[in-house]
Amino acid sequence: MQNVYAAWTVKHKPKSLKEVVGNKEAIQKFVNWVKSWDKGIPKKRAAFLYGPPGIGKTVTVEALANDFRMELVEKNASDYRTEDAVKRFAGLASQYGSLFGGKRIILLDELDGLTGSADRGGVRAITEIIKTAQCPIVLIANNAYNPRFSTLRSRCILIEFKKPRASDVLKHLKRICLLEGIQAEENALKFIANRSEGDIRSAVNDLQALAQGKKRLTYDDVSWLGYRDRQATIFNVLRMIIYAKTCDGARKAVNMADVDIDMLFQWIYENVPSHLTDPHDLAGAMDALSMADVYRGRLRRTRNWSFTRYIIDFMTAGVAMARVNSKPSGWIPFRFPKRIQMLSRSKAERALQLRIGYKIRRKCHMSAHRASKEVLPYLRIIFKNNVEMAAGLAKWLDLDREMIEYLTEDEEKAEAIVKSLS
Amino acid sequence: MSFEMWAEKYRPKTLDDMVNQKEIVERLKSFVKSRNVPHCIFAGPPGTGKTTAALCLARDLYGDAYREHIMELNASDERGIDVVRETVKTFARVRSIGEVPFKLMILDEADNMTSDAQQALRRTMERFTETCRFILICNYSGKIIEPIQSRCAPFRFTFLPREEHDKHLKWIANQEKLDLKDDGLEAIFEVCAGDMRRAINTLQAAASLNKPVTAEVVYSIAGRANPADVRRLIETAMKGKFVEARKQLRDMIQKYGVAGSDIIRQIHTEIFKTDIPERWKIILADVVGEIDYRLVEGSDEEIQLSALIARLVETGHELRKAG
Repeated sequence: MQNVYAAWTVKHKPKSLKEVVGNKEAIQKFVNWVKSWDKGIPKKRAAFLYGPPGIGKTVTVEALANDFRMELVEKNASDYRTEDAVKRFAGLASQYGSLFGGKRIILLDELDGLTGSADRGGVRAITEIIKTAQCPIVLIANNAYNPRFSTLRSRCILIEFKKPRASDVLKHLKRICLLEGIQAEENALKFIANRSEGDIRSAVNDLQALAQGKKRLTYDDVSWLGYRDRQATIFNVLRMIIYAKTCDGARKAVNMADVDIDMLFQWIYENVPSHLTDPHDLAGAMDALSMADVYRGRLRRTRNWSFTRYIIDFMTAGVAMARVNSKPSGWIPFRFPKRIQMLSRSKAERALQLRIGYKIRRKCHMSAHRASKEVLPYLRIIFKNNVEMAAGLAKWLDLDREMIEYLTEDEEKAEAIVKSLS
Repeated sequence: MSFEMWAEKYRPKTLDDMVNQKEIVERLKSFVKSRNVPHCIFAGPPGTGKTTAALCLARDLYGDAYREHIMELNASDERGIDVVRETVKTFARVRSIGEVPFKLMILDEADNMTSDAQQALRRTMERFTETCRFILICNYSGKIIEPIQSRCAPFRFTFLPREEHDKHLKWIANQEKLDLKDDGLEAIFEVCAGDMRRAINTLQAAASLNKPVTAEVVYSIAGRANPADVRRLIETAMKGKFVEARKQLRDMIQKYGVAGSDIIRQIHTEIFKTDIPERWKIILADVVGEIDYRLVEGSDEEIQLSALIARLVETGHELRKAG
């Protein structure tokens, strides 16, 4: 009997290029390059596949080797720590045909794992091997534009892998459910697919964690997942920022957060008061956040993204350095930003406000954005208090029922207004 | 009975109707007479007649069919460079038929245009001067890039003098058969700070209550930055309760839609009324002023105002320490 506990990411890994999810263009480019080796050594002897984690870069190479019956020699970060280690398998690259008569392809995976001092010379050694390689060499990294790879890049054909669409991830999840004999609600799978943000590996892992051993998977089974795992890391990041002893320490913590800067900003803003309890420290920290926000404004207006670094300086180091008198607290939990809760709840509301704004704009010579902020509060008062005037305005502005209900906050009143309109 | 937004209903239609901004109106009339208009920047605080002046100018220039000769664009809604490249250019390049050989492009809230879009606009303005004149409307001309400023005739709009403000509102109240009390008028001026559009909107909202418009009515509808709320906010902060004060602030901004600039103006007023040593009042005025400035520069009103609240918390702490 097959091991039921095998990781589904391995068990259901695509065996053939046809099964690989998304990235059709990138895969085609890669296939063409590998095929070109049959006509002699191409100009670029290495292909550099790059893109975010979990989207099928390695799987593509493995599937290709399988489809083309090539011998795949795979090395990952743990294998090529130093120049010497790389040279040791250099010999492999000197022949296209392998011992057994098939063709060979060499894969150097997880290139991001090469760290500065430990892998000294590693990148240089790889570059050397590529120069004289007699068989296709494939490099894989998340970020090909890391300055460390600059010389390497010029010797490679660069192939970008993008996050597959949620619909593609969904298709893959459905296939696995079929194979595992699980009846899953479309909603449930959609939720997992969306949450993965294109990371197929994490989506499959989530699916396994939730569905293994079950016959049915419902939306309720998955919806609680929420942002559970993300929060664990954000707590650490917040701790590192607020209690940092050096500016660098605080600034570096940003790289560890897997939320964007705006979101991290909200987390810091929410939690600063409970951790910097001394009034001077608090005022200093809030001042730093205020300056970070000033740079956000400047960035927005000028579209000069390099201002991001000052935003980070102030929101991390600025906050950390403000902590002078506050004692490190024993254990104060970090709280989810209230504003984010309010914002997400009111997202639909703001969309509706803006739609009303556009109606106002058609009549009142002002932007929809401004109208939705400046005129709307007055409309609300009128709609709550004066059916006759409200009906007149609703007609003049051509408001629909949803808008009228929103402005009156009262179905009966809305009904009365709609009635007097017809 | 017909209903419109009064701010539109009573918007002056021609330059002759415009009772305020006398000097500006005179200059605009001379443009109409000579049938020539330079590129213009109308700068000034909200509700002082900038958009109205542009529309009146257009009507006087082209007559009742003025809409065929002008285009109104709102940079807050369409602020990207693509709009300048496509919409503006397409409009600007085609010659107008009629007595006046050029069209008018009214770019409202132009200070919300990205600098990229402004750069693109600059070339468009130059290339199509023959066929199209631009009126840029903004609150702060400083947010318009220099090269555009230097190509435009500047017009600075100022707040209506108190008498004009009162006269206009009384006239509207009269037209609408409204009982506008003196203290109501006073309250409108205090709440709207001379912003005519807001003043008229406030008046209309007050009218919807079907009772005499008193100060109490005005404050209740402008339930917005109510002085009592602001006072309570300051007190809470001075007592050292930052989180609670922040919540009060959040309610004001999110629930009641009070503008940050509104709150800060009132905090400024209140500070000089509170019972703290005189020396501290001027220290706080500096803090308020700094945050007021950052409010314009920054992107998030709540963040800026909470920074101010934190300063108030700090001040309260210092004062208690000093006894």
